Amino acid sequence: MKRLAFSLCAAVLCTAVPAAAAAETVTVALNADIRSTNPGVNRDDNTDAVILHVVEGLVGYRENGTVAPLLAESVSTAADGLTYTFKLRRGVTFHNGAEMTSADVLWSWNRYMDPKTDWRCRPEFDGRQGLRVTGVAAPDPYTFSMTLEKPSALFLDTLARTDCAMTAVLHRDSVRPDGSWDRPVGTGPFRLGEWRRGEYVTLRRFDAYVSPPGERRDGYVGAKRPLVQEVKFVTIADAATVKAGLLSGALDIADIPDDDIPELSKSRAIEVKTAPTATKHAFLFQTRDPLLGNVKLRQAIAAALDLPQLVGHVSNGLGRPNGSAVYVTSAYHDEAHRRGYTHDPARARALLAEAGYRGETIRLIANKRSSVPSYPAAVVAQAMLQAAGIRAEIEVLEWATQLDRYTKGNFQMMSFTYSARLDPAQSYNQFFGPKDRFPSKVWDNPKAQELIEKASLVADEAERRAIFGELHRLMLADAPLVFLYNAVDTTAVARRVRGYAPWVASKPRLWEVSVGD
Amino acid sequence: MKLPAPNALIGGALIGGLAVAAALGALWTPHDPLALDFRAKLGAPGAAHLLGTDEFGRDVLSRLMAGAATSVWISLLTVGFAITAGTALGIFTGYVRGWVDRIVMAFNDALLAFPGILLALGLLAVVGANKYGIIVALGLAYTPSVARIVRGTVLSLREKEFIEASRVMGNSELYTMARHVLPNCVAPLTVLATSMFGWVLLAESALSFLGLGVPPPAPTWGNMLAGSRPFIAQAAWLGIFPGLCISLTLLGINLLGDAVRDKLDPRMRGV
Amino acid sequence: MLRFALTRIAMALPTLFIVAVSVFVLIRLIPGDPAALMLGDLADPASLADLRRRLGLDHSLPVQFAIWFGNVLAGDLGLSITSGQPVLPLIVGRFWVSAQIVLVAVLFASLVAVPAGMVAAWRQNSLADIALVGAATLLLSVPTFWLGLLLLLFFGLELEWLPVVGYVSIAEDATRGLLYLVMPVMTLFLHEIGVVMRMARASTLEVLRLDYITHARAKGLPEAAVLWRHAFKNAFGPTWTLIGLVLGNLLGGIAVVETVFTIPGLGRLLVDSIFARDYPVIQGCLLFVAFTYVVVNLIVDLFYPVFDPRVTAE
Repeated sequence: MKRLAFSLCAAVLCTAVPAAAAAETVTVALNADIRSTNPGVNRDDNTDAVILHVVEGLVGYRENGTVAPLLAESVSTAADGLTYTFKLRRGVTFHNGAEMTSADVLWSWNRYMDPKTDWRCRPEFDGRQGLRVTGVAAPDPYTFSMTLEKPSALFLDTLARTDCAMTAVLHRDSVRPDGSWDRPVGTGPFRLGEWRRGEYVTLRRFDAYVSPPGERRDGYVGAKRPLVQEVKFVTIADAATVKAGLLSGALDIADIPDDDIPELSKSRAIEVKTAPTATKHAFLFQTRDPLLGNVKLRQAIAAALDLPQLVGHVSNGLGRPNGSAVYVTSAYHDEAHRRGYTHDPARARALLAEAGYRGETIRLIANKRSSVPSYPAAVVAQAMLQAAGIRAEIEVLEWATQLDRYTKGNFQMMSFTYSARLDPAQSYNQFFGPKDRFPSKVWDNPKAQELIEKASLVADEAERRAIFGELHRLMLADAPLVFLYNAVDTTAVARRVRGYAPWVASKPRLWEVSVGD
Repeated sequence: MKLPAPNALIGGALIGGLAVAAALGALWTPHDPLALDFRAKLGAPGAAHLLGTDEFGRDVLSRLMAGAATSVWISLLTVGFAITAGTALGIFTGYVRGWVDRIVMAFNDALLAFPGILLALGLLAVVGANKYGIIVALGLAYTPSVARIVRGTVLSLREKEFIEASRVMGNSELYTMARHVLPNCVAPLTVLATSMFGWVLLAESALSFLGLGVPPPAPTWGNMLAGSRPFIAQAAWLGIFPGLCISLTLLGINLLGDAVRDKLDPRMRGV
Repeated sequence: MLRFALTRIAMALPTLFIVAVSVFVLIRLIPGDPAALMLGDLADPASLADLRRRLGLDHSLPVQFAIWFGNVLAGDLGLSITSGQPVLPLIVGRFWVSAQIVLVAVLFASLVAVPAGMVAAWRQNSLADIALVGAATLLLSVPTFWLGLLLLLFFGLELEWLPVVGYVSIAEDATRGLLYLVMPVMTLFLHEIGVVMRMARASTLEVLRLDYITHARAKGLPEAAVLWRHAFKNAFGPTWTLIGLVLGNLLGGIAVVETVFTIPGLGRLLVDSIFARDYPVIQGCLLFVAFTYVVVNLIVDLFYPVFDPRVTAE
């Protein structure tokens, strides 16, 4: 009994002591461990989220999804649209104290374009995806220039992409003498602290950080002062444990499933913050399927779905239906994109008759990851389809298996989530393309092909707007997929944490965040 | 006329109740177990829904009744599969011995050492993620334990006098096995089969929890239990009722299993 | 004794080889591609092929197996695809974390469940028996992911006695480390009580029916002496074997508990690797688990004569 009393007492002490020491630590939950510390190479969403606190690129996304200079002071384009000149900010230092100059930018770029590096985004810049960088130069320490083969409206956006790790500028100390990866020596507001695989990764404040200009935080640019001493990203796979961690105060910040909002909102120590994101939930069709190859049947399915009700249910009332590939808060999301499919059982029945549908079963693939509404959306859709006389059967697959089926185009219908792409053309590129070469693409249409190519070249906003409107119209007619809504980032934040806000890129940002009492 | 043992009585009552619920559930349920009702999400037990509703507004009682048939069917087939395959394998290897035995047992042990999750995931991927996939996957996963126990029994019996006697009397090997070896395996197999029945009900639940998707769109107790977990604080009934169903079924099966064993065990005759 | 142990290990070698082959075949039968998972939803076929080549996945399966198995024989389990770490130290590190939880839980569970099972058998069909069997069944049928969460909510959130999230190894800080282990151990402990008790009861029932027990009773020995001297020793044998099986199985099945309590153990590593299709880690884990399984059961068998005088180790 004495021993028990002692250990309980120790428990009290132990929880009290770290709490005091942890005042300057903000603890954030991640649903899976990061894959590596090598930006844009061995990565996933969590890896990008953590590493983009440590490294920065020449340009980055703003809150509204447009691209702005970050390590660059300014970006200018030559009249022919081929050469981009980046003037670098002066006085920016790496975590090892060295000043960042154009030599570092050049070194980093050459490393990325070296096939041995395995940079995820190399195909985006070597011509395989249409865009090709033909030359780079560092004429003086604070100027860097890049030349393209053809003009591109997507060049800066691609540089800023989070999955490319913002094409981050690294110091050469990041690699070992043999060229292998060691650790990120970047310019970000935080330095990499300790990484315990499977447990946590910590970041420490970079005291010599010079924030980009700006009064306020603005996406990945604007004010970026690191205010807390330490950020600890803890790996927790189980959403129920995350909830318990938030309620107990062991966690400060965590993404939570929509279902947990009502319960967590009741806690006085927690505030639930939401932000619309560019992540797209959709039902995909395989247009080469003997059954679903029939556009009438696909349109019948679309007409059978009561999207406002479906979205309302699976997002707990947070999401707004958005039938467009352009995300709902984008500058390009205008009147044209508000058109979508409407729930019309009579029309669905008429279309089914025209399509000659005779009760064949449609297999709808879904997965049960708690971070996406794949499964609940499928369940609701199944009931709605059944009401319209369409037999659908749900096949629940584990995520890697579903992704394999997706990559091979081996499905009839799939409840799927596309990761965020901020530029509309990039967004269309996620699901549009020649099916022979890219089996994962769901939409293949020569007219749309032309339009998307044009949108990648043209920089004028009004002209692009017209193109995207036309694309949306074409897409609705072809019905290769039904977009449901843009995910809403729901983050639970402890009240002691000040200044935290989720945003459209769906990634945590711990700069300009401080800890109160 | 002696009253049946209490374990037979209680066990019989529980299993009888289950059988009635399963049979009824296949014919009639108070509500459509698949019908969604968005206004009745996570409703507490009450007059309209006796056992409440789930996160899609589906009636829990109806789902439990519909699920009874599916769950019992899956468990029965899985256990049947494992017992049949395992017994055949156990008797065969225990009887022939030699290198055939060695090889089969090496495979058997390899399978025993395999974590069930991986086996299930692999086989589900190959067989297809449906009811029959689960039956094959779990059935295969449990076969080696059965084979091991049966083989052990056979090995210990083959030198016994009554087996020898049966042989001397000129009975065929097949007859000897069926008449004398099999009945002696019944007792250990009953214990194993009843445990297995419970494992199957739960294994499906655990696989669901780990996200390895065991997917009948129709309800089973296992997937209802796994699906209820996020709502443990808001809607405890979602987990409690399927959990209770599983518990009571297990209890019934175990008690009944004991009673059956007492009846069938040759050593118990005349006691 | 030593010869017995060596023979047993030699006999286990074919089993281990079969495990190696079947793991290899099985995980490659599962759809999914580590390269595709690394590249995500925008993978183009060319980059995919590049990455597959770099990971050595472009060779034919027999060649891949030969390369891998050759390395295993040389003691090299390869590098993890996800993290690039060497597999063997990764597994060994995670193994100790899981092993301490499993060992403590099974030890306590046996201490409680074996006597309880024997009492139930001794008083078969009594109220006590039915109550004990009922309790065991109830414990068995509460899935660990539910039980664990209940404990977490009660001890972690309601009472605030125990930490909810995280892990500290005992080697680093013994007191705090223990606190993090209480709930996972308790979860497994409660679950295993049900398993072990049922087996202890069944094997005691078997023994109590044997002639020599009747004999002992007929000789007029006191019931306690019959139970202790004759029944317990003989009934413990099969239970002991089961405990061995349970230990082996738990290492594969502990993933659930580790997920709930954020414990960086072997079970979680295996599940994560399956999700990521991290072939070298899955293969390594399974070989390791199979090997542990063989060793644990060998140890159990070596101790068997201690509990069952009828059996000798030869």
